[in-house]
Amino acid sequence: MKTHIEFTRVPIVPPAAPSGSREIGAVLEFSGLVRELENGRKIPGLQYEAYEPMARMELEKIFQELAVKHPCEEIYFIHRLEFVPVGEASLFIRISAGHRQPALALMAELIDRLKTDVPVWKLSDVLH
Amino acid sequence: MKIKILTFAQTRAQLGFGETEFECNPGETPREIFRRLAPQFDPGKIIRVAVNQEYADWDSPVGNAFELALIPPVSGG
Repeated sequence: MKTHIEFTRVPIVPPAAPSGSREIGAVLEFSGLVRELENGRKIPGLQYEAYEPMARMELEKIFQELAVKHPCEEIYFIHRLEFVPVGEASLFIRISAGHRQPALALMAELIDRLKTDVPVWKLSDVLH
Repeated sequence: MKIKILTFAQTRAQLGFGETEFECNPGETPREIFRRLAPQFDPGKIIRVAVNQEYADWDSPVGNAFELALIPPVSGG
């Protein structure tokens, strides 16, 4: 499985569509956007930080672990750091697979694991 | 030996630094190191610790680790 992990401090630009394999039957894209209301309060955006070397290692481990259960061809992962204004994407994930079921299952589990195990933090309090 | 200590998010505010170096010995555990470094700090049950960029046990010796980090509950995405 091919993997791509990127942390960026500028707006996320979704990568070009995957090419190469003619066995890819499903391409699933997820964007996580910053919402205006955080705990009921209006905010201009969110500040994100990461422990980047560890986040990369954790993501690789999670990708490999999940790919055993849900075989996929490629995971393309981008997380934006520092200030992300409301309405812009803090997260982009694209999963390419032979079939839709493993792509959908891997996506759901990957986002759950991101939110429990990958050292990335949103720091909304600094903006209030 | 010297070990690099990193803090993130609320633990940085609690301890008052993002990065420092601290003298410790390989037989010490993360819990013992933080008890000497910041006696008022209590990781409780929700703050995890990473040794050399991997989740680790609070009560296992750090060995020849080069980096120790406090990992408060994560919230990426």
